[in-house]
Amino acid sequence: MNLDETKSVDLQEDELPGLHNSSSHRSISSNSLRANSIKEVGFVDLRSKEVRYGSRGGSNSMSMSRREISDEDSRLVYINDPLKTNEKFEFSGNSVRTSKYSVLTFLPRNLFEQFHRVAYVYFLVIAILNQLPQLAVFGRFVSILPLTMVLLVTAIKDAYEDWRRHRSDWIENNRLSSVLVNDSYEQKKSKDIQVGEIIKFSANETIPCDIVLLSTSDPTGVAYIQTINLDGESNLKTRYAKQETVSRIHNNEKINGVIKCEKPNRNIYGFLAYMEIDQKRVSLGPSNIVLRGCVLKNTSWAVGVVVYTGMETKVMLNNSGAQSKRSHLEARMNREIIFLSFFLVGLCTVVSICAGVWLRRHRDELDIMQFYRRKDYSGEDVDNFKYYGWGLEIFFTFLMSVIVFQIMIPIALYISMELVRVGQAYFMIRDDNMYDETTDSRFQCRALNMNEDLGQIKYVFSDKTGTLTENKMEFQYASISGVDYGGEKTDFYEEQGGYFAQVDGLVLRPMMKVRVDQELVRLSRSGNDTKTGKQIYDFFLALAACNTIVPIVVDTSDPVEKLIDYQGESPDEQALVYAAAAYGFMLIERTSGHIIIDIHGDRQRFNVLGMHEFDSERKRMSVILGCPDNTVKVFVKGADTTMFNVIDKSLNLDVVRATESHLHSYSSIGLRTLVMGMRELSSHEFEQWRSSYEAATSALMGRAGLLRKVAINLEKNLSVLGASGIEDKLQQGVPEAIESLRTAGIKVWVLTGDKQETAISIGYSSKLLTSKMTQIVINNNSKESCRKSLEDALITSNAPRTSTSGDDGSLIALIIDGTSLVYILDSELEEQLFELASKCAVVLCCRVAPLQKAGIVMLIKKRTDDLTLAIGDGANDVSMIQKADVGIGISGQEGRQAVMASDFAMAQFRFLVPLLLVHGHWNYQRMGYMILYNFYRNAVFVLVLFWYALFTAFTLSTAINEWSSVLYSVIYTSVPTIVVGILDKDLGRTSLLQYPQLYGAGQRQESYNSKLFWLTIADTLWQSIVAFFVPLLAYWKSDIDGPSIGDLWTLAVVFLVNLHLAMDVTTWNWIIHASIWGSIVATIICVIIIDCIVILPGYWAIFHLAGDGMFWICLIGIVVASLIPRFVVKLLVQHYRPSDVQIAGEAEKFGAIIESRSAEIEMNQHHT
Amino acid sequence: MSSTPSAAAAADSLRRNSKRPKYSRFTQQELPACKPILTPRWVISAFLLVTIVFVPIGLASLFASRDVVEIVDRYDADCAPSGSTRDKVRYIQSIADKTCNRTLTVPKHMKQPIYVYYQLDNFYQNHRRYVKSRSDQQLRSQSHENDTGSCKPEDNANEMSIVPCGLVAWSMFNDTYSFFTNNSQQLPVNKSGISWKSDRDHKFGKDVFPKNFQNGTLIGGAHLNKSIPLSLQEDLIVWMRTAALPTFRKLYGRIEVDLQAGDVINVIMQNNYNTYSFNGKKKLVLSTTSWLGGKNNFIGIAYLAVGGLCFLLAMTFTIIYMVKPRRLGDPSYLSWNRNPGGH
Repeated sequence: MNLDETKSVDLQEDELPGLHNSSSHRSISSNSLRANSIKEVGFVDLRSKEVRYGSRGGSNSMSMSRREISDEDSRLVYINDPLKTNEKFEFSGNSVRTSKYSVLTFLPRNLFEQFHRVAYVYFLVIAILNQLPQLAVFGRFVSILPLTMVLLVTAIKDAYEDWRRHRSDWIENNRLSSVLVNDSYEQKKSKDIQVGEIIKFSANETIPCDIVLLSTSDPTGVAYIQTINLDGESNLKTRYAKQETVSRIHNNEKINGVIKCEKPNRNIYGFLAYMEIDQKRVSLGPSNIVLRGCVLKNTSWAVGVVVYTGMETKVMLNNSGAQSKRSHLEARMNREIIFLSFFLVGLCTVVSICAGVWLRRHRDELDIMQFYRRKDYSGEDVDNFKYYGWGLEIFFTFLMSVIVFQIMIPIALYISMELVRVGQAYFMIRDDNMYDETTDSRFQCRALNMNEDLGQIKYVFSDKTGTLTENKMEFQYASISGVDYGGEKTDFYEEQGGYFAQVDGLVLRPMMKVRVDQELVRLSRSGNDTKTGKQIYDFFLALAACNTIVPIVVDTSDPVEKLIDYQGESPDEQALVYAAAAYGFMLIERTSGHIIIDIHGDRQRFNVLGMHEFDSERKRMSVILGCPDNTVKVFVKGADTTMFNVIDKSLNLDVVRATESHLHSYSSIGLRTLVMGMRELSSHEFEQWRSSYEAATSALMGRAGLLRKVAINLEKNLSVLGASGIEDKLQQGVPEAIESLRTAGIKVWVLTGDKQETAISIGYSSKLLTSKMTQIVINNNSKESCRKSLEDALITSNAPRTSTSGDDGSLIALIIDGTSLVYILDSELEEQLFELASKCAVVLCCRVAPLQKAGIVMLIKKRTDDLTLAIGDGANDVSMIQKADVGIGISGQEGRQAVMASDFAMAQFRFLVPLLLVHGHWNYQRMGYMILYNFYRNAVFVLVLFWYALFTAFTLSTAINEWSSVLYSVIYTSVPTIVVGILDKDLGRTSLLQYPQLYGAGQRQESYNSKLFWLTIADTLWQSIVAFFVPLLAYWKSDIDGPSIGDLWTLAVVFLVNLHLAMDVTTWNWIIHASIWGSIVATIICVIIIDCIVILPGYWAIFHLAGDGMFWICLIGIVVASLIPRFVVKLLVQHYRPSDVQIAGEAEKFGAIIESRSAEIEMNQHHT
Repeated sequence: MSSTPSAAAAADSLRRNSKRPKYSRFTQQELPACKPILTPRWVISAFLLVTIVFVPIGLASLFASRDVVEIVDRYDADCAPSGSTRDKVRYIQSIADKTCNRTLTVPKHMKQPIYVYYQLDNFYQNHRRYVKSRSDQQLRSQSHENDTGSCKPEDNANEMSIVPCGLVAWSMFNDTYSFFTNNSQQLPVNKSGISWKSDRDHKFGKDVFPKNFQNGTLIGGAHLNKSIPLSLQEDLIVWMRTAALPTFRKLYGRIEVDLQAGDVINVIMQNNYNTYSFNGKKKLVLSTTSWLGGKNNFIGIAYLAVGGLCFLLAMTFTIIYMVKPRRLGDPSYLSWNRNPGGH
């Protein structure tokens, strides 16, 4: 493990074992501040590292972060002393270079990179072989032409892209920033910024390098930043400057200090450092650093010291592209290509052995034989002329035949496939049905090498929150002190625009309106006096205060009216704060030291004495407030499982029970639930907490663990305030989409961090589960009980069920939770789980951790060849998106990490249906056909050359002009296959969506399989025999010359190959027409041009040929006779074993007639 | 979400810079298209069409081939002393007189023009070493006289370039034939226009004269008249159009009188060309021609076979479609409708 990986794991690893009762997680990177959902960020690369899925993280307790940063792992930054900072270590400057080449290095580097592809190396080796005088089959120029063309096109493309990068680098590097030089700020170009310098930037400025905040315009040192360039998240995040430095900048004092921080690494959510200032050590964490690319918002200025520059900034280190996945179809194709290379070797062996035998038999005649003339008599001595002995001649013949038959290995196919994929991607991106209006986003193809895999998916693993649901939370129910509110709601319009507050003559309104419960509004207004009123007051105070939401005031067109936009990272928290505001508890201001809440028109200031942020083990957060009445209270909010452990049940058992039952009913209708608790701290308790809190926050290492310990000590004996039910609405079209996918034979698994009840209820509402299904629930706490329930479940699943055909009654749904998965994954029980899961139509995994999601994907991937697809929107889905064969990111509410890791990205879950059923089907069918066709196309030409070699004393001279043989795969036949690969449609969109079952064609590999491959090879053999022997026999014993019959073969093969394609095209639009007929015309033109070159032996041959009746008769005869077997087989298959695709295609054409007829029949039946 | 004026304005500007793909039938892959489907009627018509086209062509070719009269006479064995190959090679390499008399009988009436060919069997004019050993530049213009790089081993003799260079020219066929009727009247053979006009006009230069040709140690074949430019050396031009196949004919000349059935023709030939060293056969061929070329039944038979096969297929498919008809596009044939429940 290298440094940054270790660190990224261990930042969370310093956990205290045994404090969490549910599944433990081995998270990958720092946790974000989520309220309820278990969201862990996993941007750091998962690839190079062996991970044990679902294993318990506690075992890995050796923690980097508890150690000092050792000297060799750190860098020292002397604040405001760039000279000293840079004297010892050569830190890189701040200029960035995303461009790959310079003018000088372009040629060598670009060539070097291009030759990383096997295809090009193959071309090159063949071209080099051809340059040897003994092997010169083609002319020098002809033999390097195809390679040069490909290289040139790619190089131009690369050069253009690089030029654009150069330009953007230049703009980046020359952007101005104010840098503190000799106690005054000067404008400096971004590229000249050095580590250790202090820079100042103002609102809406983009930060040019990674800096540690020293001070901001806010007296408490808060800065708000937007990280949209970094991770695409548009909400504001808070960063803090340390108090020690804030005041100094404000007082214009000089700062001298040293920052000791980690070496540059890619973890954008972690930072570990301390600052030595005034002989005091101040620790620094991720909340003190602002990364390159962030934008300063809502803060008029900020000052910071540069710690990482240029290519060493975290964002640049993260710039490496997504890992490449290989297409499944291509992997299969490579198997067939290996066979073809054996075939090629076979052909070459036959030719070279025959050549050897021929030479042996004629060994005495060769010297003076007119067409061989082994001896050269022109010199003084009579030498052998170009004869190297029997053995070498065989060897050279072998190599020459490899050169002649080179296109047997369809190397150009790889290039055509790339072009086709680009074309397919073009259409996927521009599909109107995959455009989302609300977010104004198109479909995105991020990986360009797996379009065809979309047509063969068998398993879809879907995240729930944000993927199936909108992740737009709406507060629905509140249970306060055991009373359930939220039964009857009024529409917010009746409320005269909802709640508003008046501040300094301005009207403040929350940006989002929430439907409110009238009864609760009335009660909350009744004040703090009654017991109920007090409880309601505390509950809403908890909602408004216990979060990390930042209120932002937004102007409206009306100058006295302002809107408050609650910015935060958790949609749940946003919903809660908006709800509190609607009930009259409006959060107006938040700084690091205090919050101001407008409570029914009364502005109250609460001091925030401390905050324990959310983490995935505690699954709760707490805030310690100093209230206006000088009491100190701790408010805690969290998931019910962990909250009830810290609630003092002895206080108010009835309330706890009632709350629990409310929670149950909320979650069973699919709501996300949170529990609020509260405790008043005595001054003794507070002091105790404060000292340990301060000790923990200033601890240098293991801070997270210490803080967690402090939090756990504090969060106990709480009294329950109540619970909230938040609705996360299903995305539009999800039930229909899931139904389509299931009809298409795709197994949909939902993996969610939510509770079992919530997951099941979402399952019902999304039509994933139906009431008729047999549900198997596995929900255990030990390995033994897991084994037992798996065994039982297997028996249940094997039991014959009385199933009425086509009904859901026969289907089994498996519901399993993360805790059980901890025991099952990576143990011998995996096998049983797989067996069980493969029998289930639906699998729902709840309460799973991010790495478990990847583990579940691997469970399937390891055991079957079936293709898997993972779809998710959040950082917690990154691991499974990377592991699955196809990863899809939803570009939704939760930032862009899933998108960054994905192969395809889209805005809505329902787009999966057109993506898989329509584009996937098309792409698979097109690509499968294209591969087979390319095998055929090249092999038929090679075989014609091979047959001719048998009639040239095995010397591999070709009748077909060398230009034609090079142009064959470049001009004569290349365009139609690419065009058909992009544009042909075996079925229309409507049919594919109407009959999702048609997707099965891809799952059953109907377009590309070994049977089709062998049929194609047999067909190729027949066609090449016809194409070669018809002219041979027709012109046997005639005075036909080589170039003429060569032209006949060329034209015959090109006509044949193009008409073969034409026979298989299903949808003829004008582009396909143009490409196929255009290719034939282009070929004729090329042949004519070649035959007009006087110095070629074939001069004028085509014109002589065309005047000869025999030529035309041969041409027609070849085309017809070659295609008959294929045509007949096609007809027989269509008649006796019609494929679904074919029937649907016929129905498309004749469907209207049939439907009207069957409707008539039905009508008649009804009448009778 | 509320729609305040500012939000509305924002939405409006969004709509203007919307990323919504521009709708066109092309981008939505909905170009007007034709989807041919193989209905029984189409299938049977297609087969019948092939039959209707192929059978007449086949018959016509067969008749054409039958009408061609061809006299083939192999003379290499008879015109050399019997014995071992070595004896024959020694004979052919000697300077002895190699005149040889052959008698041919005309089997059927032969209409003029009667083409005179020589046919070589087992002679690989398409051998890699051979086809490349020529210089088309040199043949074309005098200025490229020394372009003999590709001609090895017949590029230079006595340190001077050979014109025409290369194995192809060097090995030019040099048997000659004279034809006499029964009453010792010579049948004139027209040797002009036996080569392609395009070759004479463009490929072989009018200013290029044979030079230093057949001056080497080993004589490969014919000598050329040094005073006649290459563009008029038609035998050379014919020979230089290298044959595609190891058994080939080359045009020697034309007899422009009719020959009657039973006519006996005496051929006096010079048997100069050495095919004995590699057991190649030499044949003299007299043949009339049809619209389709020489005598060859293959194409006629092939066309009849394909035509007949298609007729059979048309019948077979008619029966298949009648015995077990399948309604096209009938959803009940869809796999999930055929065996319900089984996904």
